[in-house]
Order: sequence, then structure tokens, then C-alpha cells
Amino acid sequence: MVVKRRTAIIAALSIAAVVALILWKPTVLIYGLQAAGLYAAVAIPMGLVLGIVHIVNLAHGEFMMVAAYAAYFGCKALGMDPLLAIIPTAIVTAIFGWVMFQLTIRRALKAPELNQLILTFGLAIAFTQAINLIFTSQTYKMPLDYVSASMDIGDITFGVWSFVFVAVAIVFAYGLKFFLTKTMTGKAAVAVGQNPRGAAIVGIDVYRTYGFVFALALALVGAMGALFLTKSAIFPSVGSPFTMKSFCLIAMAGIGNIPGILGASVLLGVAENFLRAFRPTRDWAEIVFFVLIIVVILARSLKGRKS
Amino acid sequence: MKKRMMLALAVLALIAGSAYAQGTIKIGGIWTLADITGKQGSAAAQLAVDEINAAGGVLGKKLELIVVDDEGKADKAAAAVEKLATVDKVDVFVGGMASGAELGKIPAFKKYNKVVMSTGAAGSATVEKALGPSPDSDFYFHLHPWDYNQGASYAEGWDAIQKKYPNIQIKKIFLAYEEGAFGKSSWDATKILFGSDKRYTIDGASFKSALLGGGDYTAVLEAAKAFKPDLFLWAGYDADALPLLEQSKAMKFSPGIYLGAPPGWPIDFGASKLSPNVMLYGMWSTAMNNNNPSSAKFFKNYVAKYKEEPATYFAPLAYSAVFILADGIKAAGTTETAALVKALEATKYASPLGETITFTPSTIIKHQGITRQKILQWQNGDQQVIWPFEAATAVPVYPFPAWK
Repeated sequence: MVVKRRTAIIAALSIAAVVALILWKPTVLIYGLQAAGLYAAVAIPMGLVLGIVHIVNLAHGEFMMVAAYAAYFGCKALGMDPLLAIIPTAIVTAIFGWVMFQLTIRRALKAPELNQLILTFGLAIAFTQAINLIFTSQTYKMPLDYVSASMDIGDITFGVWSFVFVAVAIVFAYGLKFFLTKTMTGKAAVAVGQNPRGAAIVGIDVYRTYGFVFALALALVGAMGALFLTKSAIFPSVGSPFTMKSFCLIAMAGIGNIPGILGASVLLGVAENFLRAFRPTRDWAEIVFFVLIIVVILARSLKGRKS
Repeated sequence: MKKRMMLALAVLALIAGSAYAQGTIKIGGIWTLADITGKQGSAAAQLAVDEINAAGGVLGKKLELIVVDDEGKADKAAAAVEKLATVDKVDVFVGGMASGAELGKIPAFKKYNKVVMSTGAAGSATVEKALGPSPDSDFYFHLHPWDYNQGASYAEGWDAIQKKYPNIQIKKIFLAYEEGAFGKSSWDATKILFGSDKRYTIDGASFKSALLGGGDYTAVLEAAKAFKPDLFLWAGYDADALPLLEQSKAMKFSPGIYLGAPPGWPIDFGASKLSPNVMLYGMWSTAMNNNNPSSAKFFKNYVAKYKEEPATYFAPLAYSAVFILADGIKAAGTTETAALVKALEATKYASPLGETITFTPSTIIKHQGITRQKILQWQNGDQQVIWPFEAATAVPVYPFPAWK
């Protein structure tokens, strides 16, 4: 009863905030949602790996960067639009991810967590430096007409392309939810994530499942790498900020709570854009990220202590 | 068998002996090789060395360029100077781009007191201050303009353009600047240069560059659109160039002048449909090959040797640096610092950058080379020089057309 009332209060407050923003500063909501879509679409695959394989992949953003480079040069060579490269890049990145898992991460799964962190951090540095050596720090960006598509509502003109990331984030979140709850492989993955020893006893190949989940997450990262080309220029260090943001969004949502990443991303995206909308608070937008994390984690630990 | 061995050894000794007699003049080059400016700068310097050697070398000796990567870090840059001075025993130094890395080199440069032909480092508050006044910094020849030189040349350029083209009128300037040191110093300089005499109304807002994890320009563009500037200037990095234009188009923001000031432009920027009529600051463009024989020669030889086009002005700048050094050594007859400094002070080098380089005192140091940047405009996929008029390759297209 108490939980229901609390949920109703949160829902009512959220609706009131949305209405107030629409009436007062609609662009905060528009750009906030667009930013949230990008954050969530990148963070969800990391959430999948953390929830099931239980490894913090500090090379998450760098895998996306490598996928983006592969997609860029594939598109350039074949004269192809990055949207057409989404599926091929996803497949190639999934294979690459599976190989990297078997060669490196699998060896460290029973090692202390610090060793796992050092391993994936090492992978991140190796990817960045390898790309830097091959392609230099020169940035690459595909010129695309459709990314400048815009819409007028009253006297507001805004870009609409970035809403594609919102759609992708929703597809990722609910597609994964469907996979994990409705398919045999997905259920096996959840079982492995919850209790690997128990899953092994009932005949599930734990390492095979880990490898599959890692490759699946990397397929989503690869798809995002190709789609990312439509939004941003690419360069060797383009992925690293997304690792940090993704990890913090997962921490905010709670490990294993993939749809929760959507909520955390909306909170972050809207809060950032709210601060950016006003001159005196414009430079504070970057800090909101850390403030939100501290508040959410503190609130959760206080709640845990109470219960 | 023994006889053959003896003969081979004798031939080797002869070859080694003749090389020793001929000798080489060693140039120590320090660049950030993972960066396009360093990669192409060092390649252009090697091209200059090859051309000079093919023409007989300097003082009967071959030039040898020994390049060390500073990785863009001050500590690595300092170690590079130490290695080149003590292990390779170079005669002179060349190179440089980022002010931070250059700052790391200065104590070692002062220690070895060899002539330095610097191709980068615009930060006067750090690098020029660390060098200090003459005579302690006389070994240092700074080819690239200091930040205050650049600012002054922009103000001069826009005044001249408005005078020559009366349809171009600038009253309101908006600066979108990246929130790091580069953007903030641009904002401070813009306020002083354009806002101090109240001729212009200045406003600005910061954004987080894509290079530093940002890439969302909507807030800064909203502020700019509300200000309705005649000139919109953004000071960020190449990673911001196209996304910023794409978001400007999406928000239908088209000021009279759309001007970018990144250190370099992304590959294929000219091929974008959004690039026409975007203005920029720079020092060199391929369009200058049409009216500058030195530029055309440099470009032709660079493309022939490396099968790629020079993408930044740091390439012709490094090429010029080696030629200036070679001419100085020829005139001095030695690489000894005092004599070489004296010879370099008389430099008059017709560079591929479209101007004759001489050295004059700047605010602190005695040997400043180039003091003016150029105002250029992307037209039909190429950067065309708009100002200075003596180097102009096209007339400006104004206003920046409204988005369709």
C-alpha cells in the first residue's frame, strides 16, 4: 500500500514536471530526451554484461569506438550509408567481442575484481593507442543530410534526428527484457547471472553463456558504433567518456535493472539540459551527473539501512 | 677467404672514413606523431631535408633529421630534448605544436642553448613567459604567431574586410567557445579585442567539445540564435566542426558570417554540403598554389613523396622551418649558436605560407616570425584566402546563406 502510494506520488510529480517543462522550457525536455536516448542506448549493453557476466567492462566505450571506425571505413569503401552498416557492424563486433572474451576476459573471470578492472582498462588503452597509431588523432565524420532534419512547433525549431537514439534505447531495453524472460537462452543467461554454480549443476554451459552474452552485448555496441557515426565525429578517445557515463547510469539504475537505465538516463539528460538552458547555471551541467549519482546512491543506502 | 675479408673491411673503412670526413648536420625534430599536425609536420621537414640534400646539402654536409615523438606531453617533450642533445648530439632543434608540450622543453632548451626553430606553441602566457626576454631566449626563433598576434590580426582583418566590402557590416559578435583552456582564452581575447572599444557588441557561451566527451551544441546555439549575431564564431576542435553545423542547420541558425577557429578541420569537411561559405582562420590552403610558386612547389613535392595532401598549415610551416635553418647555417658558416642566431636575424624567406618570413621582436622574445593569421572561406570544397588581400584567392561570399 505504502509502495503504491509512493509510486503514485513519483508518477504525479514526474507528470507535473513534464507539463511544467513543456509550458515553460520545452526545449529542455526535447534535448533532454534526445541526450537520454544516446546515454541509455550506449549504457544498456554494459548493463547486460555487468548483470550476467558480473564484470565491469572498462573498455565498453572503446569497443564502440572500434566499431565506429570499422563502420566508417566500411561505409567509405563501399559508398554506403551508416544506417545500412548497422547490422554488418553488429555482426563483426559480436565476433570480435566473442574472440576478445575467449582470449582475455574468460581467463580473468575467477580472478579478483581488481584484476578484471585492470584487464579491461588495459584493453581500453590498447584499443585507443592502436587506433591512434593506425589512423592518428585526425577526426572523421560522415556528412549526412538527414541528420539535420528539423521540426517547427510554434516559434521553436529543433533537430529531430537524435530521437532515433530514444527509439534505439527503448528497443534495446525491451528487446533484452523479452529475450531474458521469454527465450530459453535468455532464461539460461539469467540463471547463470543469478547463480553460476547452480546453473552449471542443471546442465547449463556457464562459460558458453558468458561468451554468448558478451558477444550479444558487443553486437548492440557495434550497432551503436555505426549509428553513432550519424551523430558525432570519431577519433581515438571518443569512446572513453561513454564508459564512465554508462557505468554511473547502471549504478543509478541498480545492477541488473536494464529498463531502469532508461529512467536514469532521462533524469540525467533532462537535468543537464535544464541547467544548460540558463546562463548562470550553464557551466554546472557537467556537475549534475556526479551530484545525481551521489544522491541516488546515498538515498539507496539510507533506504537499505532503514529496511 | 681471408683476403676477401680484408678487402671488404678495407672498403668499409674507406666508406666510413669518407662519411666521417663529409659529416652531417643533425636537426633534432620533436613533434606529437599521433597527431596529424605532428605527422605531417615531421614529414614536411623530412621533405625539406631531402630537397636540400639533393641540391648539395649545407656547407658541403648532408642534413639529417632525427625525429622524436613527444606524445603531446611536457615530460616526454623534455626527455626528447635531453635525448637529442646528449645521445644524438644534434646541432639545432625544430618542431613543436601544443603549448603544454613546448613548455616542458624550455628548461632543457635553455640548458643546451642550441638554436630552436619552433613551429607551434601560441600560448604567450605560458611559453613566451617561460622563455623570458632577450638575451636569454635569443636562441629561440618562434615561427608561429602568439595568441595575441592572432587576435590582433583577426581584428585588423575584419576591419579591412568591412572597409573593402561595405555590404559586410558587423556589429554583434557571438563566440561559442569550448569550455577548456583553449576556448576560455579565446573568449577572454575576443572580449578584449572586439569589445573594449564598444564598436562591437559581444556575447558568448561555452560548450563541451566532442573531443572532451561533449558534442551537444543545442544550448549554445539557442543562446546564439537569441542574440542574433552578425558574426558567429566558434572556438573548438575539428571534432566539433560538422556536428555543430548539422545542429545549426537543424535549428535553422544562419548568421551573416559563420566562422570556425579549430586548429584543424576534419578530413573531407570540404566535401560536406554544409561546408560552403563557412569562414575560418588559418595560415595556408591549397588554393594558394595558384598565386604562390613556393606553395605550389611545396604541395607538388609533398604529394609526390607521401601520396597524400597536406591537411594542415603545420606542414608548410615545418618545411619552411628547415629551409630557414639551412639558409641560416649557410650564411653563418657554422651551427655555433651565436653566429647562427646572428645569421638567422637577417632571414628573408619567401615561404609557401604566402609571406616572406623575417624575425622581429614580440612582446617578450626577440625572434618572432609570422605575426598574422589569414581569414579564409570554404568555397567549392576548398579553403580560399579572403584576407590579407595581397594573398587573397577569392572574394568573400556574404551573407552565409539561409539553410534550405
